Amino acid sequence: MPEAALDFADEPPEAQAARIAELNDRYRHHGATSVLQGALRDPQAGKLTLVSSFGAESVVLLHLVSVIDRRTPVLFIDTQMLFTETLVYQQELAERLGLEDIRIIRAADAAVAKEDPDGTLHQFDTDACCDLRKTRPLQTALKGFDGWITGRKRYQGTSRAALDFFEADGPDRIKVNPLAHWAPEDIRAYMDENRLPRHPLVAKGYPSIGCAPCTSPVAPGEDPRAGRWRGQDKNECGIHIVDGRVVRRSEPMNVIVTDAGFRQDDWQGNAVLDLASDTDPNTVDLSAAPGLIRVDFPSFADGRGFTIARQLRLRGYKGRLRAHGHVIADQYAMARRSGFDEVEIAPDLAARQPEAQWQFRADWQRGDYQSRLRG
Amino acid sequence: MYHYNDFDRDFLANRNAQFRAQVNRRIDGSLTEDEFKPLRLMNGLYLQLHAYMLRVAIPYGTLSSAQMRQLAMIGDRWDRGYGHFTTRQNIQYNWPKLKDVPDMLDALAEVGMHAIQTSGNTIRNVTADHFAGAAADEIADPRPVAELIRQWSTDHPEFQFLPRKFKIAVTGSPNDRAVTKAHDIGLRMVRNDAGEGGYEVIVGGGLGRTPMIGKVIRDFLPREDLLPYLEAIVSVYNLLGRRDNKYKARIKITVHENGIDTIRDKVEAKFAELKPLFSGVDQQMLREIEGHFAAPEFRTASTEAFDDAYAADPVFRAWCDTNLSDHRADGYAIVSVSLKKHGATPGDATGDQMRTLADLAEAFGHDELRISHEQNVILPHVHKSDLPALHRALKAAELATANIGLISDIIACPGMDYCALATARSIPVAQEIAERFEELKLEHEIGPLKIKISGCINACGHHHVGHIGILGLDRAGVENYQITLGGNHTEDAVIGERAGPGFAYDEVTDAIERIIRAYLDVRESPEEEFLDTFRRVGTEPFKAALYPKETVDA
Repeated sequence: MPEAALDFADEPPEAQAARIAELNDRYRHHGATSVLQGALRDPQAGKLTLVSSFGAESVVLLHLVSVIDRRTPVLFIDTQMLFTETLVYQQELAERLGLEDIRIIRAADAAVAKEDPDGTLHQFDTDACCDLRKTRPLQTALKGFDGWITGRKRYQGTSRAALDFFEADGPDRIKVNPLAHWAPEDIRAYMDENRLPRHPLVAKGYPSIGCAPCTSPVAPGEDPRAGRWRGQDKNECGIHIVDGRVVRRSEPMNVIVTDAGFRQDDWQGNAVLDLASDTDPNTVDLSAAPGLIRVDFPSFADGRGFTIARQLRLRGYKGRLRAHGHVIADQYAMARRSGFDEVEIAPDLAARQPEAQWQFRADWQRGDYQSRLRG
Repeated sequence: MYHYNDFDRDFLANRNAQFRAQVNRRIDGSLTEDEFKPLRLMNGLYLQLHAYMLRVAIPYGTLSSAQMRQLAMIGDRWDRGYGHFTTRQNIQYNWPKLKDVPDMLDALAEVGMHAIQTSGNTIRNVTADHFAGAAADEIADPRPVAELIRQWSTDHPEFQFLPRKFKIAVTGSPNDRAVTKAHDIGLRMVRNDAGEGGYEVIVGGGLGRTPMIGKVIRDFLPREDLLPYLEAIVSVYNLLGRRDNKYKARIKITVHENGIDTIRDKVEAKFAELKPLFSGVDQQMLREIEGHFAAPEFRTASTEAFDDAYAADPVFRAWCDTNLSDHRADGYAIVSVSLKKHGATPGDATGDQMRTLADLAEAFGHDELRISHEQNVILPHVHKSDLPALHRALKAAELATANIGLISDIIACPGMDYCALATARSIPVAQEIAERFEELKLEHEIGPLKIKISGCINACGHHHVGHIGILGLDRAGVENYQITLGGNHTEDAVIGERAGPGFAYDEVTDAIERIIRAYLDVRESPEEEFLDTFRRVGTEPFKAALYPKETVDA
């Protein structure tokens, strides 16, 4: 939809600096509410939006905005890597506060398809992932505004120790920080007094919440932001994070899943025939096949392996058939019905989806329409 | 109507329990967001612009009054008191909460309904002619075989992670009301020279950003070969379909890039392998399913009350002329109830309207309702003597709009008002066009005309096959609407031709009016419908009306 023209487009830098100084002077001795109220109405502040992560402390600023003007545009960046709790909290909070103009910002499908097709970019380049999923979508979304309201506070670190209410954000925009002078106790008190709902993950040990792959809980006494990107640094030194716990990556043993549950690999033969997911199953020489064929699943979303297995069985292969790679517990029944005997998964997946979740589908013969129709 | 047996009920209960567990496992971190996404999609749960959206299947568009009442209850209890009927015989709830969705699915299961495979890269809800079992022109009722395909495709282990979504439609009538040529697989029930029933199998049709008319892969497939043949097609596609580019992943592209002959050879080879696996039990089951769809006991009664009302009441007459279709039983009519009241959101129905329709189906319609791909509700079996009373009741519920098949009976996708993919609004455009022609009082003079509007290139509003198609795009942050002319969705399906440069949001209705004025000028008689006129005179008179000379030269 076309946006109204911006008030301060193409403003010279010195004019911008003077305007920010005036704004800071005008609101120097004001509290957060009046700064916000002023900023949302002051012609010198221009057209503003609130950028909110709907994280641990976001509710304070969202509540302040909803009280002053619930039509204020609120930008929520859905990196598509967020915790489901965040998404649910976002919806519920928006509804409860009656916010009328929530704009959900996402990276363009085409950009994600190109730069992070399998959703694993965060594992090897956190910065690029943030850039793709957060920074660029936000920059695009902010083009329609003269400035944005943030929840940054002075106590959050030395780089923020001198934070003002108003500051420049490049030549085209300003940032408004109404909570600049608030201390952690102020935040807690405000939430208590206004009976505001907490992000559900706070109670589970997440004082600061970002994307799911890059946020882990924080131990008592740790810096509240210690859980952010914690795993990524350590990953580089050969350590991998599972469920927020540090796990040595040097345990290479994959787990074999059968109807009976998890077990170690018992294959004693020396040869295994590995088939890639783009193999044409009609060209596989079955007379030369060893007693075990593994079909690779590079991603759980690549369903070719199911047809490959079925075709190998149709061609008369009677040996062991194993699905290998990124197969999830929810696909166990599909794998078994397609002709696989077992599934081989990496230890981190086995830790994330423990045996009970696979056993849940050990009843893979139940409710099988296709077998019923074939007779 | 199909009634679930113990197997169906057990399957559905088990499936719902799995989804409930998946929601909890997403929340406890066992499933990543990436992994959860296809699982929620294959259970009908989308993440839309404002909130989650739950898409519930109405297989082959058939509902009982009890099912319709349950849909109303779900909308009242867990949504905002309404639902949106879609172009693929689904109903969408736009405001459910994630934590409520498992309960909504259980409520659906109580009446033998589900949201399985209404989304995701799987075989979707099978659609069929909405007049099935009632139409005078029908060769056979397509719903039993659509139900057979529903069962075969449900949780098919090979086909839950296809390259892309996969849609199947069936028609049992030579007059194709199911848009079979714009589906991944279209099935037309036909008879061969020996009089045996079978199917013409069409593959590779689709709309979206690369519209394609489906191609015939087998001109006569014996009835009993259907499931192995379908399995062969989807299996070939699963290995051959492109996975490197989402926009080239549909089977229409696979067919286009490999050629229909190559695909046919592969399918026939696979079919030969699969056929021996089917013992014929499926055909016995099909016969049992056919029993569920036996026609109701039509009554024989006088139609005098109808004839009298038709002669006396012009409002009733106008409604009958547009909203009734020929029924195969004497004295009966098929009633289309328009969900396109001028100015309303096409396809939306409130809980109260759904309950009213359920009551009317029970009172006058042998307890049956249908949802059409044109987003209207059908009462397929109404005796003509009941029509005056039915019409009165519909009027009281604001459901008696007499515009079926006319200019205001517009198909529109949710557009930018709800959909995260949309690049432009569609609902307000539909509303404005409907209101304009209502004001001009031209609707009935114009006669049959299909306008279809999509709010983005994905073409959910079927604009390619609208007699007049409207496609909303985003041009540098401004909505821009392209107009196509001469499309058709029936048995001789055609993709519409683009008329020329697009129009701004506030110019679209004027542009449509100019097209209509041009049509009224050049048609040979009031009997010559828009599409026939277009076929006779081509695009020129319409282009001239849309783009007056001076602006073209400027």
